[in-house]
Amino acid sequence: MNAIIALSALAILTMFFGVIQKKSVLLPLILSGLIIVFFLNVIEWGTFKHYYNEMFIADNFNIAFTAALILTTFLVFIFSALYYRTVKRPLEDIYALMLFSLIGGITMASFGNITMLFIGIETLSISFYILAGSKKFDVASNEAALKYFLTGTFATGFLLFGMALIYGVSGSFNLQAINSYIIANKESIPTLFYAGMILVFVGMAFKIAAVPFHFWAPDVYTGSPTLITAFMSTIGKVASIAAFYRLISITFLNVHDFSVDILMLFAIATIIVGNLSAMTQDNMKRMLAYSGISNSGYLLFAIIAMGPKSAGTLLYFSISYAIATITAFAVIMLVREERGTFSLQDYKGLAKQNPVEAFAMAVAMMSLAGIPPLAGFMAKYNIFSVAMNGGYVWLVIVGVIGSMISVFYYFKPIIYMYFHRADAHKKIETTKAYKIHILLVSILLIILGFLPGLVIGLL
Amino acid sequence: MLSKYIFYFLSSVAIYAALMVLISKKPIHSVLYLTLAFFAIAGHYILLNAQFLAVVHIIVYAGAIMVLFLFTVMLLNLNIEGEFPKKNIIKFAAVIVGGLILITLIGTFRTYDLEIIKNPTLNQIGLVKNLGKVLFKEYLLPFELCSILFLAAMVGAVMLGKKDIQ
Amino acid sequence: MDKNFIPEDYIPILVQSVVAFGFVAVTMLATHFITSKRKRIRTLHKDENFECGIEIKGNARFPFSIRYFLIAILFVLFDVEIIFFYPWAINFSEMEWMGFFEMLLFMFFLLFGFYYIYKKGAFDWKHDE
Repeated sequence: MNAIIALSALAILTMFFGVIQKKSVLLPLILSGLIIVFFLNVIEWGTFKHYYNEMFIADNFNIAFTAALILTTFLVFIFSALYYRTVKRPLEDIYALMLFSLIGGITMASFGNITMLFIGIETLSISFYILAGSKKFDVASNEAALKYFLTGTFATGFLLFGMALIYGVSGSFNLQAINSYIIANKESIPTLFYAGMILVFVGMAFKIAAVPFHFWAPDVYTGSPTLITAFMSTIGKVASIAAFYRLISITFLNVHDFSVDILMLFAIATIIVGNLSAMTQDNMKRMLAYSGISNSGYLLFAIIAMGPKSAGTLLYFSISYAIATITAFAVIMLVREERGTFSLQDYKGLAKQNPVEAFAMAVAMMSLAGIPPLAGFMAKYNIFSVAMNGGYVWLVIVGVIGSMISVFYYFKPIIYMYFHRADAHKKIETTKAYKIHILLVSILLIILGFLPGLVIGLL
Repeated sequence: MLSKYIFYFLSSVAIYAALMVLISKKPIHSVLYLTLAFFAIAGHYILLNAQFLAVVHIIVYAGAIMVLFLFTVMLLNLNIEGEFPKKNIIKFAAVIVGGLILITLIGTFRTYDLEIIKNPTLNQIGLVKNLGKVLFKEYLLPFELCSILFLAAMVGAVMLGKKDIQ
Repeated sequence: MDKNFIPEDYIPILVQSVVAFGFVAVTMLATHFITSKRKRIRTLHKDENFECGIEIKGNARFPFSIRYFLIAILFVLFDVEIIFFYPWAINFSEMEWMGFFEMLLFMFFLLFGFYYIYKKGAFDWKHDE
């Protein structure tokens, strides 16, 4: 709860300083503000407070995911100085919208009532729709915004319809109350309730970009400005998966047999389609979009298995995915600025000219591919073991095959960077601060690989 | 007894208007039919004794949002009339998907025992006073978060709609 | 105020709208029957919007400035905001100071939004070009 209040104040301050044209204040203000918000959030650890008639539940799950979301936002803001270095205006609207979507994301990780889930999703999505179109004079960005808006509102409609059906049957929006309704009427739950559940699943699957509701993701992620893509593909995914987990672990746990079949279908289709589509991509941004889709499939494993370690593994996977994705996008931003496209060809010989950036990119790719001892490997290993303990052997087999396919496309940029000779590319000039930042982020990814027990043990 | 007939009348108007929104070839006709559908639904709210909702529905949807819709449709350069070309396979897939959803929903609603539902006309929750009590006590946090949602929308509208002053 | 409100309270409104629509329908039908049976003459000039004056050129549909949309969208946002005041005002005396501060916080966000859009020049028509 502290986090939301402090973030609202931070967003207001950001808008205020932007509107009085104090550009130099903005980024330091936001970065220091995010650090304060992080600590304000963490001091609530272990208190298990319920706010406002269980609208907002500040349990450890919420605090851990809020911390992960704030960390991710912090990393994105670090690289925003690089991305917007040519822009003269203060950009407070983009920063404020990013903070608003963070507020939405935190709400999604902490709701105790379905109304709060809906408002959280709306705050997150509406900010995203606008952010996707924030490069106003770029046709691709406009297309991304409109496509995301149309499909996103349609999916929200499904979600809302599902919520209405669930409310109609159970008579409450409160997660615990719906759960007690399910327990009390275990034998005679009407089909209407299940219809509502399916519609809610459809809406949530859209938000995490799970197949077959993934079709928006490649276009939107490719068309949006790269910094925003990094932000959307991490914050959006982590917040939505946290909301999905929360919804199922609190409310639908006693009808989990019903959910498992649908979710397994989602997970298997997501892994197969996501990985196979990513293989053929030559555009780095599009490839990472498909990689994001396939990662949703792995994230669903934890929800399907619902074991004792599910929540912790979900947190660990989310953090490792988010950090690796942001690192990759930070390098993509740089290469795009210099060479003009997102094509793989641009990465030829990057290792010779820009060793630090190439190293960061290689670490990010290897982590996403799941090469030990990086964080991505430990995340995948743990999520597979959670699924294994739940007895979903087939799921794990599909997951392992998907991972093997993914190695192929994640290694493509590494091969281009390290084993191809640069044709006519010059060295990309970067600032010292950027080098330090990207090195720190990739080291964070390596360190995280040695601490899986610590993060998973939190929840 | 009267309310039953009014219910059937309003329902058929709403369904007819909603269908015509899709069928109409002229965008402005679609928008006007949508307004009709909104009015029919506002009538439903009154039948459910949700009076505040009915008024809000007319003021906000039929009033503000539909005016915005009409405004946009009229000011856009929509001189092209008629259907946009669609591939047959897309039409076929759309019919199958839509039909499946329809069958599923009809099937689930048929099995649901409607007798459980209490008589909504005696429920006083939809009145402004009671609604206000619920909104400002139980649902206080969502209410306050709505203001953040509005603020985000406002920032976005200005960002997308305003030329940047260099 | 203990009276229970029921949908039947709205019957006068129903009657009123039936009368309103009925009047229009009856008038239209009546004019159709009352007027002479002579066939309506259609000429090129009779079908024009203005029979005299300046000749019509082009089409009414042409792209407008985005400012109109901006103002319309901002109007909708504030319109929705105003709706929340109604249930608040009715319960004002019962909620005491707590309710006042709740609304104050809500208002603060929206007034800040208004300040923001004002300062950004959303209502400023001079610096357009």
